[in-house]
Amino acid sequence: MADAAATAGAAGSGTRSGSKQSTNPADNYHLARRRTLQVVVSSLLTEAGFESAEKASVETLTEMLQSYISEIGRSAKSYCEHTARTQPTLSDIVVTLVEMGFNVDTLPAYAKRSQRMVITAPPVTNQPVAPKALTAGQNRPHPPHIPSHFPEFPDPHTYIKTPTYREPVSDYQVLREKAASQRRDVERALTRFMAKTGETQSLFKDDVSTFPLIAARPFTIPYLTALLPSELEMQQMEETDSSEQDEQTDTENLPLHISPDDSGAEKENTSVLQQNPSLSGSRNGEESIIDNPYLRPVKKPKIRRKKSLS
Amino acid sequence: MPPTGSDPARMNRKKGDKGFESPRPYKLTHQVVCINNINFQRKSVVGFVELTIFPTVANLNRIKLNSKQCRIYRVRINDLEAAFIYNDPTLEVCHSESKQRNLNYFSNAYAAAVSAVDPDAGNGELCIKVPSELWKHVDELKVLKIHINFSLDQPKGGLHFVVPSVEGSMAERGAHVFSCGYQNSTRFWFPCVDSYSELCTWKLEFTVDAAMVAVSNGDLVETVYTHDMRKKTFHYMLTIPTSASNISLAIGPFEILVDPYMHEVTHFCLPQLLPLLKHTTSYLHEVFEFYEEILTCRYPYSCFKTVFIDEAYVEVAAYASMSIFSTNLLHSAMIIDETPLTRRCLAQSLAQQFFGCFISRMSWSDEWVLKGISGYIYGLWMKKTFGVNEYRHWIKEELDKIVAYELKTGGVLLHPMFGGGKEKDNPAPHPHFSIKHPHTLSWEYYTMFQCKAHLVMRLIENRISMEFMLQVFNKLLSLASTASSQKFQSHMWSQMLVSTSGFLKSISNVSGKDIQPLIKQWVDQSGVVKFYGSFAFNRKRNVLELEIKQDYTSPGTQKYVGPLKVTVQELDGSFNHTLQIEENSLKHDIPCHSKSRRNKKKKIPLMNGEEVDMDLSAMDADSPLLWIRIDPDMAVLRKVDSEQADFMWQYQLRYERDVVAQQEAISALERFPTPASRLALTDVLEQEQCFYRVRMAACFCLAKIANSMVSTWTGPPAMKSLFTRMFCCKTCPNIVKTNNFMSFQSYFLQKTMPVAMALLRDVHNLCPKEVLTFILDLIKYNDNRKNKFSDNYYRAEMIDALANSVTPAVSVNNEVRTLDNLNPDVRLILEEITRFLNMEKLLPSYRHTITVSCLRAIRVLQKNGHVPSDPSLFKSYAEYGHFVDIRIAALEAVVDYTKVDRSYEELQWLLTMVQNDPVPYVRHKILNMLTKNPPFTKSMESPLCNEALVDQLWKLMNSGTSHDWRLRCGAVDLYFTLFGLSRPSCLPLPELGLVLNLKEKKAVLNPTIIPEAIAGNQEAAVNPSSHTQLVGFQNPFSSSQDEEEIDMDTVHDSQAFISHHLNMLERPSTPGLSKYRPANSRSALIPQHSAGCDGTPTTKPQWNMELPRKGTGKEQPPLEMSVHTAAAAPLSVFGKEPASSKHSEHHHHHHHEHKKKKKKHKHKHKHKHRRDGRERGRGPLAFPSPAGGRSARSPSLSD
Repeated sequence: MADAAATAGAAGSGTRSGSKQSTNPADNYHLARRRTLQVVVSSLLTEAGFESAEKASVETLTEMLQSYISEIGRSAKSYCEHTARTQPTLSDIVVTLVEMGFNVDTLPAYAKRSQRMVITAPPVTNQPVAPKALTAGQNRPHPPHIPSHFPEFPDPHTYIKTPTYREPVSDYQVLREKAASQRRDVERALTRFMAKTGETQSLFKDDVSTFPLIAARPFTIPYLTALLPSELEMQQMEETDSSEQDEQTDTENLPLHISPDDSGAEKENTSVLQQNPSLSGSRNGEESIIDNPYLRPVKKPKIRRKKSLS
Repeated sequence: MPPTGSDPARMNRKKGDKGFESPRPYKLTHQVVCINNINFQRKSVVGFVELTIFPTVANLNRIKLNSKQCRIYRVRINDLEAAFIYNDPTLEVCHSESKQRNLNYFSNAYAAAVSAVDPDAGNGELCIKVPSELWKHVDELKVLKIHINFSLDQPKGGLHFVVPSVEGSMAERGAHVFSCGYQNSTRFWFPCVDSYSELCTWKLEFTVDAAMVAVSNGDLVETVYTHDMRKKTFHYMLTIPTSASNISLAIGPFEILVDPYMHEVTHFCLPQLLPLLKHTTSYLHEVFEFYEEILTCRYPYSCFKTVFIDEAYVEVAAYASMSIFSTNLLHSAMIIDETPLTRRCLAQSLAQQFFGCFISRMSWSDEWVLKGISGYIYGLWMKKTFGVNEYRHWIKEELDKIVAYELKTGGVLLHPMFGGGKEKDNPAPHPHFSIKHPHTLSWEYYTMFQCKAHLVMRLIENRISMEFMLQVFNKLLSLASTASSQKFQSHMWSQMLVSTSGFLKSISNVSGKDIQPLIKQWVDQSGVVKFYGSFAFNRKRNVLELEIKQDYTSPGTQKYVGPLKVTVQELDGSFNHTLQIEENSLKHDIPCHSKSRRNKKKKIPLMNGEEVDMDLSAMDADSPLLWIRIDPDMAVLRKVDSEQADFMWQYQLRYERDVVAQQEAISALERFPTPASRLALTDVLEQEQCFYRVRMAACFCLAKIANSMVSTWTGPPAMKSLFTRMFCCKTCPNIVKTNNFMSFQSYFLQKTMPVAMALLRDVHNLCPKEVLTFILDLIKYNDNRKNKFSDNYYRAEMIDALANSVTPAVSVNNEVRTLDNLNPDVRLILEEITRFLNMEKLLPSYRHTITVSCLRAIRVLQKNGHVPSDPSLFKSYAEYGHFVDIRIAALEAVVDYTKVDRSYEELQWLLTMVQNDPVPYVRHKILNMLTKNPPFTKSMESPLCNEALVDQLWKLMNSGTSHDWRLRCGAVDLYFTLFGLSRPSCLPLPELGLVLNLKEKKAVLNPTIIPEAIAGNQEAAVNPSSHTQLVGFQNPFSSSQDEEEIDMDTVHDSQAFISHHLNMLERPSTPGLSKYRPANSRSALIPQHSAGCDGTPTTKPQWNMELPRKGTGKEQPPLEMSVHTAAAAPLSVFGKEPASSKHSEHHHHHHHEHKKKKKKHKHKHKHKHRRDGRERGRGPLAFPSPAGGRSARSPSLSD
């Protein structure tokens, strides 16, 4: 009940906007509920001695009642969730009412008042059938160590593994056939997509779609794409390379890798230090095993000595 | 001076400097090149050079150096300002000769222009006057230091800038610059003596951005930051005497790799390519070892550098201690096809390090020795690395190439002798270019020249044995290395130069054999030998009667006299016979060893000692001959057409073990489409031990035979079942195995077989449907996932196969090609091509081989009428920015389109690209392809052939390509192909022009007509002060020494007149012309320029007086140096002078105006008189033109 109230409050605005044309079952439901509330308000007014009321005031009161009930529901839900439950208990409602400043003790007396009107039960409208989630198989009952108020297990298909034992295709011919056509389809789809989304060229003036060619686009550095293996190939190469390369070249290559970086780092150092030569830094560079003039550190200029002429 | 270059050499003979006479009156000992600023944005270079020279004659007063493109600011000799002239007749070869358009005339003028600046003739573009203050100094033969400040702005040749247009600093963009060129082209980027014979030591300095590396010759001594720490200077020292032509430079943000095996070897590549560089160069040390071992000589330089750069001029360029390679040679370990090619390039460049860089040549006519030796030792490396089969195959390939070239276009002369009587005996085989200079050669001729050179070296080896050969090389090298470590003063350096005579002398010293006949035959003479062999077997005498005929009358052939080896395979074995080929003996009787009976089954011994079983049923029962081979060792540069029965060829193919013989048999079997041939070829194809190239050749032969036998062919299409057996799955024969290219032999076969199969045709001359589906299936089931190697070449060949399967479309009255009437087979092919081409955009293959094949295939489809012919696709792929292989393939298609559709628009587009494309190689290649596949030829009528085109091409070769020798020669080749030697037929008859010319000519003889002649001369009219000069230059060209012979009566008969006139022009402008010179006083205004005297039509002399003005000492803005800015340019210097008839006076006045002091004037005067005396003594030694000499003296005389 509180649930319903809570949703009613939330859907309040929806009710109003949807009042003009109620085609939706949910809207119907909201309308019916509101109508019931109106009846309640009207009966309370009658009880209080009114003979007639303006529509606007009835509406206002209805709104107030709805808000009140909604708030009770919302608050009660909070209390129940606070204690890790999903279903509100009576005590939740009581605490809520107390919290809202309602004297609970007056409630039984009010309920038993003599002149109260009895409202006929609202006509049973078809509950909007919430489309049932697809259930597959039987939900498992809780094991004994789980309290029953805990949510039920989800549908079994969400956690149960169901291996299918279809006969794997082992026929070589079929496999190759499949792999080939699959690759071809992927390639064609991909290239067609690229052709559709970008500029194209065509071999036939009258038809641009049957054999679309992705337009030739010049590169800024054409040799890089032409010479470097693609990433895919690179992986392959690394695998074969590591197995092939003998130990010796590896170890010898290593210092070469580092040395250009070294000199680069050193260059930065020196540029920061400017005229203050850090001799220790340059010594490090010279310690590399290989003596090659291109690996030697760059010298700092000699101060004001004409060097250009030799 | 005559262009021969022999004169100064002869003059110097008395000096006798160990066999080498320098053509220059001085000797260079050391040169400093300092480039202190390189601007990649503006593509400019600023620097200076300093040459240390020792005069070798007392009265040296002018120094000629080479320099092109460079803007020279200032020349100082021993810190004294020196005046200089810059004059380059090659910039514009023919001036104002607007209507002739005669290639013959052009070639002569061009050869004259080149020799006018040829350093080997002591000439140069830059002529520097030794300041008078130094004359005394010079007389004592003391050292002179010539300091030249120069700059280079947007060089079009010699130095190539590559600046990609991306974001970032120049280093991040991968911008780089390198020197390049054909033969001696160093003058394009710094002033020097650009000759292979002038050796000196070098100091090279390059200041570059701190993120860049400058790689140059010699040892890197140190690298020093500039004061602002933003740049660094690379200091190189080259202590081994080296010619300027072997100096090179590469600057860029290179990645550095020190060779792990040889630490003195350093490799450089562009950013991101280091892994490829590592793999590519990992092999180099083995090449080093090989050469050092066979030459028993260490690599002569203390270090070696390889640089891989983009937009290379040639794939391999060797310079002293460094080689520049195309970056496209780099490859990863997954690439099969490129690996041997790259290794060959590395080996080639290294061979040239020894012979070509370290050992240089004395003159152009000795070039063949260097190219021969380097090519020969490269061949030895090939033999060792790839095996004897590959080596012999390569020799045959090269031999076939040179034979085909010489027979088609005329002979290749290795050792051109100039000036001697020889020339007349051997009329120039190449009328459209001169072979006297490397720079006038057609590029194709030059490649063939190199090819022939190494083949001749091999012939010498055959004669004297390899051992002696290597001893000779060793001797040359050890002499050179001893000389290289000597001081200049020892006069030993010339031993580092090789000459033909020196080389032959050491051969005879080492081997004691006389190889003169061989040299005479192949080196001093052009042409190849053409043999026709046929035989008959005389059963009675048991003799083989062999008839060998020769064709020595066709162009490119020569007569062979001497020994010739013939190998006869008989039943009892293989026997060698050496026949003497003599003048009149055609028939040779060769006794046979075997009896023709072959009842007992026994094994047949082969040449190599192997004994095999043969099925002899195919043989002629009467004859014991299995096969006959003429000149099996390729010991003669020849083409052999020998006649044998088909079964003999089949036996030769099956059982002869020499791959050359097998290939000969294969090409012969094409003529015998029989089941037996088919069987023989199929057997070879299946034989695993057979050389893979033979098997590949067998594929194509089999396809041809199958096509000839199409009506009787039984069974599945040729090779199909074979391919299935070798490469397809056992269980499902229509599916190819997943790729595994571990065995290279079968990889190559697998690649080739489908290509050959696609050439099969059925009775309707269509490619059988079965074959097409077969190829399509190969493509479909191609699976490279498990392969260690890339399959890009394989896939590319599959596309080639598809293209091969295309046959001409059946066209119904020329309907427009649309999609609807597309042949269903073609639709399938197109589908594949489209997919491959599109996939390339997403996953590009190595070197874009697949794109290249796709473009070719599309052109095939267009040409066969399946797809509308349209060049726009190719044009977009030909744009700058695509990989060069793609561009060339696309351009080839455009060239083909131009020819087939006769499109003027496309031809124009191509020619525009020739002029404007940033990549020199592409420019060269377009001309080359146009020449090979010309839109029309001289013997053909074509709407494309019109006057505008003639003008355009003329302009291109006359002035548009002066920055690149190779390109200019390419333009000449194209012009020759299109229009021939004489006047293009499409030009209107220039009657009027000729009459005018005639008058001009007359003007020389008859002074009264002079004014009229001038009026007729447009250029002269523009600038009155120049007319004298122009007349002086022009006349020798429009006139000739034979002009008196012109019968004026025939002038009205225009046809006769024109032909006469053309004949006149065809004569080379020989020194004979110079007889006009002294007679015509105006010629004296050419200051000292030999160019003017030997008839070079150009020479706008320009004295650049670089004297400090008003004592500011500031660098003067350079005077306009470009000669080809019309006639007015040089005159601007004299603009304020009153028009005077004597140019010499101009010069003099001008000179003194600047010299400002009378005192100096006197001083100079004195010197002039002294020089008079000198010159008499010296004669034409330094300035062999008497006219020139007089002109130099004339100021003092007039004073």
